[in-house]
Amino acid sequence: MTQAASTSQESADQPRALWGCLVEFETVEELLAGAEKVRDAGYTKWDCHTPFPVHGLNDAMGIRPTRLPWLVFGAGVTGAAVGLALQYWTNAVDYPLVISGKPLFSLPANIPVIFELTILFAAITAFVGMLALNNLPQWYHALFHQPRFRRVTADRFMISVEARDPKFDPAETRALLESLGGSDVELVED
Amino acid sequence: MTTLPAHKMLLDTTHEDPTRRAPLVLGDHDFGSVTETVCRIVERPKPPRAWYVAFAVSVSLTGVLVGLILYLFVTGVGVWGVNNPVGWGWAIVNFVFWVGIGHAGTLISAILFLFRQKWRTGINRFAEAMTIFAVICAGVWPGIHVGRAWLAYWLAPYPNQMQVWPNFRSPLVWDAVAVGTYFLVSLMFWYMGMIPDLATIRDRAVTRIRQMVYGLLALGWRGSNRQWLRYERAYLLLAALATPLVLSVHSVVSFDFAVAQLPGWHTTIFPPYFVAGAIFSGFAMVMTLAIPARQFFGLKDIITMRHLENIAKIILVTGSMVGYGYGLEFFIAWYSGNSYESFAFLNRALGPYAWAYWIMVTCNVAVPQLFWFRKCRTNVWVLLGACILVNVGMWFERFVIVVSSLSSDFLPSSWGYFSPTAVDIMMLVGSFGLFFTLFLLFLRYIPMVAMAEVKSVMPQALMEGTGHRPLGDYWGDMPHPEQRHKAVDAEARS
Amino acid sequence: MPPVSGPATGKTYWRSLDELADTPEFRKFVESEFPNFAPELLASPSRRRFLKLMGASLAMAGLTGCRWPKETIAPHGSRPEGRTPGESVQYATAMELGGSAVGLLITSYDGRPIKVEGNPGHPISRGATNAFAQASVLELYDPDRSKGVMQRQGDQTFYRSWDQFAAYARRHFDALRADGGKRLCVLSESSSSPSLADMRERFGRAFPAAKWWEYEPISRDNERLGSVRAFGQAWRTHYALDRADVIVSLDADLLMDHPAAIGHARDWAVGRDVDEQGQRRGTERAMNRLYVVESAHSVTGSMADHRLAVASRRVEAVALHLASCLIERGVAVPSVGNALSRSSRPVEADFVEALAEDLLAHRGRCVVAVGPRQGAAVHALAHALNAALGAVGTTVSYTEEIEPDRPTHAEAITTLSTDMRDGEVDTLLILGGNPVFDAPADLEFGQGLDAVKTVIHLSLFPNETSQRCTWRLSRAHYLESWGDVRAYDGTISVVQPLIEPLYDGKTPIEVLALVIGDQPAKGYDVVRRTLQASSGGADFDTRWRRALHDGIVPGSAWPTAEPPLKRGGWAAELAERVRGGTAEAGQVELVFTPDSHVYDGRFANSGWLQEMPDPLTKLTWDNAAIIAPVDAERMGLRRGDMVRLEAAGQTLEMPVTVLPGQAEGSVTVSLGYGRTAAGRVGNGTGFDAYRLRTVAAMEVVTGVTLTSTGRRTMLAVTQDHHAIDSRVGRRERDKRLGMLYREADLEEYRRHPDFAQHAVHHLPLVSMWREHEYEGHRWGMTVDLNKCTGCSACVVACQAENNIAVVGKEEVDRGREMHWIRIDRYFRGQPGAPQVAHQPVACHHCANAPCEQVCPVAATVHSSEGLNDMVYNRCIGTRYCANNCPYKVRRFNWFNNHKDLTETEKMAFNPEVTVRARGVMEKCTFCVQRINAVKIDAKNEARPIADGEITPACAQACPTQAIVFGELNDAESRVARLQADRRAYAMLGELNVKPRTQYLAKLRNPAQPEVALPGLPKATHTEQTDTEHS
Repeated sequence: MTQAASTSQESADQPRALWGCLVEFETVEELLAGAEKVRDAGYTKWDCHTPFPVHGLNDAMGIRPTRLPWLVFGAGVTGAAVGLALQYWTNAVDYPLVISGKPLFSLPANIPVIFELTILFAAITAFVGMLALNNLPQWYHALFHQPRFRRVTADRFMISVEARDPKFDPAETRALLESLGGSDVELVED
Repeated sequence: MTTLPAHKMLLDTTHEDPTRRAPLVLGDHDFGSVTETVCRIVERPKPPRAWYVAFAVSVSLTGVLVGLILYLFVTGVGVWGVNNPVGWGWAIVNFVFWVGIGHAGTLISAILFLFRQKWRTGINRFAEAMTIFAVICAGVWPGIHVGRAWLAYWLAPYPNQMQVWPNFRSPLVWDAVAVGTYFLVSLMFWYMGMIPDLATIRDRAVTRIRQMVYGLLALGWRGSNRQWLRYERAYLLLAALATPLVLSVHSVVSFDFAVAQLPGWHTTIFPPYFVAGAIFSGFAMVMTLAIPARQFFGLKDIITMRHLENIAKIILVTGSMVGYGYGLEFFIAWYSGNSYESFAFLNRALGPYAWAYWIMVTCNVAVPQLFWFRKCRTNVWVLLGACILVNVGMWFERFVIVVSSLSSDFLPSSWGYFSPTAVDIMMLVGSFGLFFTLFLLFLRYIPMVAMAEVKSVMPQALMEGTGHRPLGDYWGDMPHPEQRHKAVDAEARS
Repeated sequence: MPPVSGPATGKTYWRSLDELADTPEFRKFVESEFPNFAPELLASPSRRRFLKLMGASLAMAGLTGCRWPKETIAPHGSRPEGRTPGESVQYATAMELGGSAVGLLITSYDGRPIKVEGNPGHPISRGATNAFAQASVLELYDPDRSKGVMQRQGDQTFYRSWDQFAAYARRHFDALRADGGKRLCVLSESSSSPSLADMRERFGRAFPAAKWWEYEPISRDNERLGSVRAFGQAWRTHYALDRADVIVSLDADLLMDHPAAIGHARDWAVGRDVDEQGQRRGTERAMNRLYVVESAHSVTGSMADHRLAVASRRVEAVALHLASCLIERGVAVPSVGNALSRSSRPVEADFVEALAEDLLAHRGRCVVAVGPRQGAAVHALAHALNAALGAVGTTVSYTEEIEPDRPTHAEAITTLSTDMRDGEVDTLLILGGNPVFDAPADLEFGQGLDAVKTVIHLSLFPNETSQRCTWRLSRAHYLESWGDVRAYDGTISVVQPLIEPLYDGKTPIEVLALVIGDQPAKGYDVVRRTLQASSGGADFDTRWRRALHDGIVPGSAWPTAEPPLKRGGWAAELAERVRGGTAEAGQVELVFTPDSHVYDGRFANSGWLQEMPDPLTKLTWDNAAIIAPVDAERMGLRRGDMVRLEAAGQTLEMPVTVLPGQAEGSVTVSLGYGRTAAGRVGNGTGFDAYRLRTVAAMEVVTGVTLTSTGRRTMLAVTQDHHAIDSRVGRRERDKRLGMLYREADLEEYRRHPDFAQHAVHHLPLVSMWREHEYEGHRWGMTVDLNKCTGCSACVVACQAENNIAVVGKEEVDRGREMHWIRIDRYFRGQPGAPQVAHQPVACHHCANAPCEQVCPVAATVHSSEGLNDMVYNRCIGTRYCANNCPYKVRRFNWFNNHKDLTETEKMAFNPEVTVRARGVMEKCTFCVQRINAVKIDAKNEARPIADGEITPACAQACPTQAIVFGELNDAESRVARLQADRRAYAMLGELNVKPRTQYLAKLRNPAQPEVALPGLPKATHTEQTDTEHS
C-alpha cells in the first residue's frame, strides 16, 4: 500500500500508471466462487469489495485473522495499571490526606476508576487500531475513479487485483477475471 | 413499498413459530431497495413539514435551556428550589434520568449483538444515536449543578498549582470517569457502525458538497474484505467492552447514592436496580422514538411490528424487575431493623412525597403489565402511551430517591421540603428540547438504519450449499428465497 | 436575597480616619476647596467628591499627634507604641439597655470594633453576653443610622452642622431661661448614668420650671410600685439564684428578660451543674428545682421542672392561693392578714399545694420571683412570702432604687402628651427613644408632638419620631462615646469609645451640656468630673485608668439592705381582685412581651437579630400572635393564618403561630415590630403591637376578640416547616427524640447514672482499619443540655465572629439560613403542658466525618488536630458533603450573600475569617482562628496552652457556660473530664462517625416523680405530640 501511496504522488505529472484490474458480480454466490479462483491462482495483493461483510469470504480469500485483539488486550491491561498507579500515588503518596478517618490507600474505593480506565484504554485501541490497520482514513484511492465502483457500497460485489502483485499481468489477470463469470472486467488506472 | 405483496400474509412477523423464524425484513426488498429506502430519507432535498415544526420547537426549547444556564451562572444555584436539607434537586434527578435513557442504545447495539439477536439490526443505529444524545443531555447537569461550575474541571487528576489531587474515594469522581468513558465508547461504537453507511451515501452523492462531507466522514471506506475483517473484529471487541461498561455506568451512578449514609440511599440493592431501571426507561424511549420514525419515514418493513413487540417484552421484564426492587427495599428496610431506614421508606409511601411515590409505582409497575397481552404489544397507540408513562414514572423514581431521602433524614429539626422553581421546570423541558434537536438533525443527515447490517441479515446475503458458519452466524434459518419467489409468483398468477 | 438591598449610602466610614474633618481649619480648607461644601458631603458623597474630601482629609491627617488618653482617638497616621497593626486589642466598656448595663470587652482590630464579648470582671455579665449585646457591633456600622444634624423647616429638611445647631440652641434656650423653662420639656429614655443624672441636675438648675419625663416602653415599674406597696418606698430586688434550691417564678422570665438575666442564668446554672450523685459539683447540695407559672412560654419556662401554664391575669390568683397554703401550714406571712386565707378560690390546687410543701421544705433556700407584667400587689405579696420563707438576706436582697419617686413611665408619657396637646409645651427635647412609635396608642403621641413648636430629637436612627421633629441630632453609639452606666446592682462602668463617631454623633450628656451652655461640654471631661465627684480624692488618675481597664469602678455597687415590710391594704385588695377575677373568666387576654429579636423595636434594623430564630417559636423576621394549641384547634387556625385582634377599641391584623405550652385563652404578642422608619432591614417586618396598647393596659389586655380573616401570610421559621409535617413524620420524631436528646429525672439518674449510654441500642462499633493517631492536639467540645436555656446568644456570637451572612426572610423560608450553630427545639408531652428540649448543634468534627469521603476535590479534610477543615477556595460546591452530614450543619452559599453590603457594614467583618464566596460550602470551624491565635501566643511565650485558654465564640458568649471547649488529648482538661462524665453521650454515635462534640444528658428535677403534676408529664419517649399542627 505504501508503494501505492508513492505512485499516487508521482501520478500528478507523468501519464497515469496502471493500478490494477476490477471485476463486478451481482450476487454473493458468484463473488465467493470467483474469490476462491483468484486465491487458487496464487494472487496476494488482491481484495474483494462488498456492501456488507460476506461470510465465508475470508476462507474463500484465504486471509489470516487480524492481530487487533492482542493490541486491545494489552491496552486494557495498561489501563488497569495506570488506574491503580494513579490513585495510589496521588492519594497515598504524593499528597496524603486524612479523609473520613479512612486508610490512605484502600483498594475497594479504587476499583471503579481502575475498571473504567481499563475499558477506556481498550475501547480506544480497538477503534483507533482498526483504523490504523485498515490504513484509514485514506481519502484518495484509485478505485474511487471508477464510476461503477460506487455501487460496491450499495448492492454490488467486486474483486480487484492490484498491479503491484508479482503475478500481475494486465492481459492474463484480465483473462482470469473474465473467466469468473463477472461482468465488465476493466483495468483501473492510478 | 406501496402495496404489500401477498406472501406477507404467510409471514406474520409477530407470530412465533418455533419451526421457522420470521424474516427480519418484510416486503420484496433486495440490497438495492434497502439502500434506496434508507438513503432516500437522507438524500431527499426537503424533509416532511412535520420535521420542520418539530425542529423549530426543539431548537427554541434548547434556546431556553441555554439562556437559563447563563442565568444560573451569573446568579447562583439558588435559582433552583434546592435548600439546606435537600442539597440535590432536579439537576441530579435529570442527570440520572438521562443517563438511564442512554442505556437502551448500548444494550441493543452491544448486548443483543453478543447474543446474536439479529432483529436488533433494524433499530440499533438510532438506538445508539439516542444513547449519545441522552448522555449529552445528562452531561449538562453535573457540570452546571455545582456551586462554582467554572471550577468543575478540578475533578480531573491533573498536576496543578494547588498541588492537590481529586479524592478518589468520592463516588462523584467515579461518576465523572464512568460517564465520560461511557460517552466516548458509545460515540466510537456509533461512529464506527456508521462508516460503511456514510460511504454508501458518499457514493450515491449527487452534489459535490455532499460527496466531500460524507466522503470525509467515511474516511475512505472501500468495503474491502480485508477492511471488513478487522472492522468486524473491532466491532465485536467494542461490543464486548461496552457490555460490562454499560452495566458499570449505572451501577456507578447508583453509588452516588448507595455510598452515602443517608437512609433511603445507603442500599446495596441500588446497582442492579438502577441498571434494570435504566434499561427499562431506555427501551421505553426507543419505542417512543421508533414508532413515529417508522411511520413518518416509511420504514415499516425494516422496523417491523416484531421489533416493537420484542421491545415491549423487554419493557415488561425490566419493569417487573424494577417493581421487585421497590418491594425488596421495603422488605429490607423492615428486616434490617434499622429505624432510620424503615422510616425513610415509610415516609416515601405515606409522607409528604407520597404523591410522587405513587405516581412512580403506577407508571413503572402497573402500566407495563399491559404487555402481558399480545393485543397491547401489537397496538402502536397502546405501546406509545405506555412507554411515555414509563418515562414519566422513571423520572419520578429518581425524584423520589433523591428528594424524599434528603428531605427527612436523621435529625427531625432539620427536615425540610423541596419545591421546584420555574427555573427547575423550564430547564427540564429545555433538556428535552436539546435531545430532540440532536435527534432530528440525526434523522435528517445520517442513515437511521444500519444498512450494511440489515443487508447482511437479508436472505440474499446467504448462499446455500456451503457449510460456512463463520463468526456471528449472521443469517437465521429464513424461508428459502426460492420458496419466497415461488410464493410471489403464485400470488401473481392467481 | 440579602435584605440590605436599599441604596448604598456613601463610604462615610472614612470619618473614622479623617477625624480632622470637624476641626475648624479643616472646614476652612474644604470650604475654600469647594465653596458649596455642606455636611451632606459626609452623609452620602458622590464618588468624586468623596475622593476629593479624602484627599483633603488625608493631607491634614498628618497634623495630629493625638494619642491615648487624649480624648479624641487618633488614626494610626503614626503608630502608637505597643500597638501592632493587625493585632486585635480588647477594651472594656458597657452597654445600657432599659436603664441598666452589661459589662463588655470589645475586640478592636486596627481601630475597628469587630466583636463584643462579656467582661469577666463585671458582676452581671461575668464574661457572658446576650444576643442584643452581640449584635450591637452591626448596629454601630449600620448605614441607616442618622448622620450629622438635620433641621426641618416647613416640609423641607436641611443638613446642618453641629455648630449651626449650637448657635441655634444658644439663641433658643437663652430665650427660655427667662421663665425658667416653663414651657420646656425633656423626654429621655431611662438611664442609670451618673453623669447624665449630674447633667440633669445642672439642667434643672438652669431651667427650674422645666419638666423632665422618662419613658421606656418595656418598663419594670410594677416592681417599683410593688416594693412601694410592700415597704412604703421603692426598693430594687436582687435574687441570688445560686443560693436557691427551689426557685419559683410567677410570670418572671428571670433567665432571659431581666436586667440581670445573664447573671441569673449563670447562678441558676451553678445549681444545675451536678456530679454523678446528682449533687452540685463539689457540694452536698441538691440540684435546684425551678417552678414557673406563666402564660407565654418563656425561656425560663422552658427550663422549668414544673411549669404551670395559666393566663397571665390568673397568676395573681395562683400567688394568692400559694400564700394561703403557706399560711395554712403555719407560715406567718407578714402583713397578709388571715383575712386572706380561704379567700381565694383554689387554683390548680395540687400544683400549688405541692409547691407550698416544697417551699416549706426549703425555707431560706428558696426564692419567689414575680415578673414585670404582674400587678404591684403580686410583687408586694412576693416580698412578703420571701420574708416569711427566710429568703430575704440569703437568696433575696434589696437595694435602693435610683430616683425612687419618679412617676411611672406610663404616667410620664401620659402627662407629657396631655400637656403637649393642651399646648403647654413649646420646646421638647427628646433624648433617644422613639415615642411616636412605642407610646401607648390611645395617647396619639404623634399628634401631640405636632402641637409642639420646637422638637429636638437625639437619636441613633432617623426613626418614626425624628421624622416629626424640627431638629434631628444624630446620637453617638455607645461604642463611639464616653459615658458611664450602672449595672443592675449599681456597679458603675465607664463607657469608653473604640472609634470616632462614624456619623458625627453626640451623646445625651454632650447635647445637654450644649443646650445649657455648660462647660466642659465634652463627654470625656463630664464623665471624669462625675466620677471624680463620687469617688474623687488622691491618685484619681490611677483609679480612672484602672476603671477604664477593668470596665468597672470597684465598690460602686449599692449597699444591700433588708427593708421592713409595712402593713398595707394591698393584700385585701388583691384578694378582692382575685374574687372579681372570676367574672372575666373565659375571656381572651392579650399579653405584651418584649421581642426576642428587636426588644422594644430599637433593634429592628439589625439583620443578625432579625434572623436569629426565636428561642421558642423559631420564628425569624417577624412577630406573630402566639396562641395555645387548644385555642388553635378550636378556631381552626394554623401557623400563618391572619387574624384580627380587637382590644380596647384598637384593632390589628397579624398572623398567628401556635406554641405548645401557651396558656389557654391567652394570646401573646411581642412588641417592637411593624416599624415604618427603621431602615432598609427593619422596615415592613412584622406587625405593630403597640397599636393595641393603651395606658390603661400596658401589659395585659383582657376581653380581646380574635377573629380569623381567612387570609394567610408566610412566616419564616427555621424548624417544623409544616410542608413536611406528616402524621408518620410526627410519630417518628417523637420516637427519635429520646435518642437524640437524652434526659432523665434526677431520681432515675441517681439509680442509673449511665442511662444516657443506654438510650440507643446498637451493635458494637468496631473499625475495619487502624484508626489515625492524633499526637499533639485533639480538640473537642461538650454541650451540657442541663444548662442550655436556648437563649441563642451563641447563635449571634458565632455570626459576629465568623462573618456569617444574613440571607433574609424569603431565603430562611426556603431553608437557606446560614447559621453555623443552631439550637434545635423539641417539645414532648401534651401540647398543653409540654416539656421543652433545647439542643445546640454545630459541626461535630467527627473523626470519621462522612462529609469528607464524598467530596470529589478533597475540599473538606481532617486536620492533624482532629478538626474537620473546610477549604473554601478548593470547594466547587457539589453539596454532596451537606447531603451526607447526619447533623445537617453544613451551610451553602446559594448566592453571593455579601453582594449588597455597604462599605460600612463590611467594617464589621472579622479580618481573621474568610468571607465566603458564592457557591462555596461553609460550616463551624470550632473557631479555628481563635485556636491558632492562642497557639501562636503560646509558642511565642514558649509555654503550653492552658486549659480553657481557647474559647470559641459560642462558648464565650454562653451565659450558663453550657458549652465547653478544649483539648481531648489531655485527660485533665475540663472537656476531657466532661466527656468522661457518665452523662456524656454522642448524638447519632451509632452511625460510628465518632463525633468530637458530646452532649451531657439533661436532668429534670420534679418534686414527686411518682405524682404527675400538671405541667409535668412523666418523661417518656413514646408519648405522641401533635404540637406541630401549627
